[in-house]
Amino acid sequence: MSKITVDTSSVDEAVIIMTRVFDAPIEKVWFAFTTPEHVKRWYGGHGFSSPVCEMDVRPGGKWRHTMKTPDGTEYPMEFVFVDVVKPTLISWQNVDHGKRTGGPPTTLNTVTFQAEGEKTKWRLVARFNSIAERDMANNMGFAGMVSQGSDKLNDLLQTL
Amino acid sequence: MAVDRLSATLFALADPTRRGILARLATGDATVGELAEPYDMSLAAVSKHLKVLEEAKLISRGREAQWRPCHLEAEPLRAVEAWLEDYRRFWDRSLDSLADYLKTMPDPPFAKKRRRRRT
Repeated sequence: MSKITVDTSSVDEAVIIMTRVFDAPIEKVWFAFTTPEHVKRWYGGHGFSSPVCEMDVRPGGKWRHTMKTPDGTEYPMEFVFVDVVKPTLISWQNVDHGKRTGGPPTTLNTVTFQAEGEKTKWRLVARFNSIAERDMANNMGFAGMVSQGSDKLNDLLQTL
Repeated sequence: MAVDRLSATLFALADPTRRGILARLATGDATVGELAEPYDMSLAAVSKHLKVLEEAKLISRGREAQWRPCHLEAEPLRAVEAWLEDYRRFWDRSLDSLADYLKTMPDPPFAKKRRRRRT
């Protein structure tokens, strides 16, 4: 099984790129990824549960999700789907993406699915956002900046 | 670290000049003049960048009246790294779980039909 890879060195856009190959056909992976009863079964990982998962899988549709950690803490989240191209692409972002004035940075996540025989290649590109982007006067992509920043700070940390 | 500070850190990092300054400071403390050398900009412009970095607590400045050397503060950078790592870990866990689940999950309706049609 291929493991996840993280690419924080990309300087153009993405902060984080993750890829993985699932040993299942593309329709099945798509279904597992976009159907609440199935999403609840894996979202968050082992020990986590999803008391709430409601998905309206279409552009502009909402995804309301509450993740419960192993220690019982609940994290309610609200996303909106941006692009939905069954079974090859789905993207979503926090409902307050680009508008939030506090709290952690929000993300625009794009997952693409690519059939490789009976296997499926899964790829996530996560672009990060925060109040910073709204306040930026220029057009430079925020994710790219963070990416470069992250790259730099990796270098920095090695020298400290 | 408060989450608002994380946003402040990200904002401060969102500029190539400021990242360049941080990279320079990683090699040692420096004065405004030294930091301005590689850039085609006024000392005042560089000072503005330093102010952003100082507000984000990415740098601290000495008290010596005239030179006030800048010093890199790594803690906010570590917070960004930690946050990115949390994000990565979330997906790592979830995808491990999804891979396991796919083994026992029943085939979705119409999947076979759709596969046949494509081949």
